[in-house]
Amino acid sequence: MTPQPVDPAVELRGITKRFPGTLANDSVDLTVQRGEIHALMGENGAGKSTLMSILYGMERADAGSIRIDGREVTFGDPSAAMAAGLGMVHQSFKLFDSLTVAENVVYAAEPRRFGLVDRAAARRRVRELAEEHGLAVDPDARVGELPVGLRQRVEILKLLHRGARTLILDEPTAVLTPAEADALFAVLKSLAAQGRTVILVTHKLREVLEGSDNVTVLRDGRVVARLVTAETSADEIAAAMTGRAVELDRVHAPGTPGDVVLDVRDLTTDAVHDVGITVHAGEIVGIAGVAGNGQSELIEALAGLRPVASGQVSLKGRDITHASATERRAQGLAYVPEDRHAVGTAPAASVAENLAMGHHRTSLSSKGLLPPASVRAHAGRLIERFGIKAANPEVPASALSGGNLQKLLIGRELAHEAPLLLVEQPTRGVDIGAIQNIHDQIVAYRDAGHAVLLVSAELSEIRGLADRVLVMYEGRVTATYTKDEADERALGLAMAGGAVAPTEAVD
Amino acid sequence: MTHTHIPRISGVLRSPITFSVLAGLVIGALFLVGTGADPLTAYSAVLTGSLGADGIGSTLSTGTSVLGMALALAIPLRAGLINLGGDGQMVLGGITAAVTGLYSPLPAPLTVVLALLAGMAVGAAYAALAALCENRLGVPLLVSSLLLSYPAVSLASYLARYPLKEPGSSLPQTRAMPDGVALPAFGDSTVTIGLILVVLAAAAYWFTDKRTAFGYEIRMTGLNSRFAAYAGVERRGLTLKLMSVSGALAGLVGAIGVLSFPYRFVDGSLTAPGYTWTGLTAALLAAAAPLGTVIASFFFAVLAVGGLAMERTTEVPRELTQVLQAIVIVFLAARLRFPSGWFRRRPQENPQESPQEIGAV
Repeated sequence: MTPQPVDPAVELRGITKRFPGTLANDSVDLTVQRGEIHALMGENGAGKSTLMSILYGMERADAGSIRIDGREVTFGDPSAAMAAGLGMVHQSFKLFDSLTVAENVVYAAEPRRFGLVDRAAARRRVRELAEEHGLAVDPDARVGELPVGLRQRVEILKLLHRGARTLILDEPTAVLTPAEADALFAVLKSLAAQGRTVILVTHKLREVLEGSDNVTVLRDGRVVARLVTAETSADEIAAAMTGRAVELDRVHAPGTPGDVVLDVRDLTTDAVHDVGITVHAGEIVGIAGVAGNGQSELIEALAGLRPVASGQVSLKGRDITHASATERRAQGLAYVPEDRHAVGTAPAASVAENLAMGHHRTSLSSKGLLPPASVRAHAGRLIERFGIKAANPEVPASALSGGNLQKLLIGRELAHEAPLLLVEQPTRGVDIGAIQNIHDQIVAYRDAGHAVLLVSAELSEIRGLADRVLVMYEGRVTATYTKDEADERALGLAMAGGAVAPTEAVD
Repeated sequence: MTHTHIPRISGVLRSPITFSVLAGLVIGALFLVGTGADPLTAYSAVLTGSLGADGIGSTLSTGTSVLGMALALAIPLRAGLINLGGDGQMVLGGITAAVTGLYSPLPAPLTVVLALLAGMAVGAAYAALAALCENRLGVPLLVSSLLLSYPAVSLASYLARYPLKEPGSSLPQTRAMPDGVALPAFGDSTVTIGLILVVLAAAAYWFTDKRTAFGYEIRMTGLNSRFAAYAGVERRGLTLKLMSVSGALAGLVGAIGVLSFPYRFVDGSLTAPGYTWTGLTAALLAAAAPLGTVIASFFFAVLAVGGLAMERTTEVPRELTQVLQAIVIVFLAARLRFPSGWFRRRPQENPQESPQEIGAV
C-alpha cells in the first residue's frame, strides 16, 4: 500500500456546458493540488471563463462533478463557493472606490461589536493580513485613489480575510507594470508556499512560464494539454492554444522613414504635459507606458476628441491643433481607439454598418445618398481582405469575437489609406492567432508609406512593431529609445518612472 | 438576402414589442373579465368603432395628429435625443397658423400654404431654442425642451383668451378662419389633406433613414453616440438639425389642427387629446423606426377612437384603452431595462441569451 495521497484542492471531472450552437466546455477535467499555482490557458472562447464560472457557482454545468478537498459540492451561487474556501479576483475589480481599503476588505464579513462595524478591528485585521502576506497597503487609504496594482492587493486581501484557501485570478496582470506583475507573483508564490492554491486564468505566456507549477490548456472547450511548467516552453503552450505552430514575439524589420507626417510640439491637455512627438511616413512610433499615464488623453487630443490647452499639432505641415475630428479625418487621419465596444463600434449595429463608418460620406455615397448596396459591397470587400469571420454582414457587431471585432475596426480604419494612423492597444484581449494577423497588417500599412503612432501596454508588441519607442510616465514623455535600445528592462524601468536621463530623440 | 428573412420574422414575433402589445391585450382582457364585461365584445367594439364605416374617418383624422407628433418625436429619438417639448412647439405652430390665416392679405389657397409654413417655421425655431440651450449652455435637452414647452402653451393660451379672442364668444378661442382658409377635406369627412402631408413626411423620414448618409449618421448616433463622435459626426449640429425638423413637424400638426375642423385656434384643443404623449409612446414602441412608427401611430389612433365607440356601445369605459396603452408602455419600459445584466445572473434560465456571452469568454 502506498500512502494515501492528499485530496486535491480542486478537482473538476467531466465538466460539460453547452450553450445553443456552442459546446463551451466538453468533458473538462482539471485537478489542482493544494499549494500549487496552476495556470489555465486558452484563447478567447476556449472555455476558460465558462469553466471558472462553473467552479465559482456563477453558472451550472450540464454534466460533471466538482470536488473541493475531496468532497463533492454543488454551488448554487458564488457565496456558496466562497463558503467552501474559494475566492475569485475578477478582471474588473469589484471594489467601492469611495470607501477605504479596510472597509472594502471586510465588506460583507465585517468584524462586529455591539451589532456595529468595529472599524478599529477592521483596520487591525487588514494590517495583520497585509503583514503576514507581504501585501503592504494603507488600510485608511481610499480605494479610488490607489493605483491599480494596489487595488489588486485589496482584492486579494478581501479573499484572504474571508478565509479563501483557493484563489482564482482572472487575467491578473492585464493592467500591471512588469514590476507590479513581478511583485504579484512573489505574493502568489508565498501564498502557495503556505499551502494555499492559486488558479491563474491568463493568456500571457511569459508569466505562466515564470510563475506557475502546472499548466492546463483549453481549446474549443476541451483540454488539449496538461503540462508541467518546468518541462515545457512558450512555443509548446502557444502551439497547444492555437493548434498550430506560432512564431512568438516576432520583431518586424524596421521601416524606412520618409517625410514628417505628424509633428506635435509642447502639447498640453488634461493629464498630458509638454509632449513632443514626430512621426514620419513609413515609420511606426510606439508609446509605451502603464495605462493611465496620459496616453489615452494624448491620442484623444490628437484625434480631435479632446481640446488642446496649449502647444501645436500639425499633420503633413498643416496646423490641426484646434481642428475638429471631422476636419482631421478629412486631412488624413485614421484612428483605432482603445475601447472597441464603447468607442470604436456600435455593437448593436450590423457588421456592414460598422464597416461603413467614416467611409459613408466619402467613397460610399454620392450627393448625400448612401445606397444599401454599396454599404454591403464595401463590407464584403473588407471582410474578405481582412479575414473577418462573420456569419454575414447583417449580423450585429456584438456577435463577433473580440479578435474579429478588432479586425473589423482595424480593417475599417486602414481602408481609409490615411497618411497617419493612430492605434491604441491593437491586440488587447485578442487571440494569439489574430495578433499576428493584426501586427502584419500594421507593418504592411507602414511599409506602404504611412505613418503609425502606436500606443500599447504590451512591451512585446511595442518592441516587435515600433521603429522608435517613447515612454510616457505621468503625462510626460520621459524616455525615447531606438528599436535596438528598447529592451524589456529599460522600458520596464522607464514605465515605472525610473528613467533617469532620457536619451535624445532621434529624428 | 433570403438568409436574413427567417430570423427577421421570428425576431419580430419574439420581439418585446409584440410581447408588450399582446401582454397589454391579455391584461386588458383580465380587467374586463374582472369587471364582468365580455372581452371579445369590448375588443370587437373597439375595432368596429374605429375601423368601421362610421369610425374610419375619425381614426384617420386622429391618426393624422398622432402620426405627425410620433414622427416629431421619433426623428430625434432615432439619434437618442428626446424632445419633450412637443406640446409647446405644436401649440405655437397652431397659434401662428391661426394668426397667419386671420391676417394674411393673400388669396385663401396661398394663405393656407403660408399658414402651414409659418406654423412649421415657428415650431422649428422654438425646438431649435431647446437644442441651443443644450449645445451652448449645457442644459440637458430633456429638461430644456420640456421646460420651454410651458411658457409656449401659456403664451398661446393668453393670445387666444385676450388679444385674439373672438368677440362676443364665451369660449377661449380665436375667430374662425376666413372662407376658404382651410385644408381641403376628403368628401364630407374630417380627414384633410393634412393626412397626406404627414404621410409624405413619414415617407421622407423612411427614405432619409434607409438611404442617406445623414440617416446613417442619425442611426449610428442613436446606437452609440461616442462611436459617432469618434468618427467625426458633429453632435451639436446634429442635435440642432434634428430638433428643428422635430419642431417643424410638431408645428405642422398644430397648423393642421387649426386649418381643419373647427377652423380656429381653441385654447387647449390641441393639447387636451394628448397627441404628444401618444406620439411619444408610438415612437418608443417602434424604437423610432420609420415604418414601425407609422404602424404604431395607427394602432394608437384605433385605440383612441375605438375606445370612445366601445364606451358608447358597451358598458366599458373608454379609460380601458388608456389602461391598455399604459400597460404597453410599462412592458416596453421593462424591456429597456432587461438587457445583459438581468440575464447574465441567471443564464441557465435563459439559454437563448447565452451565445453573446460565449463571445466574451
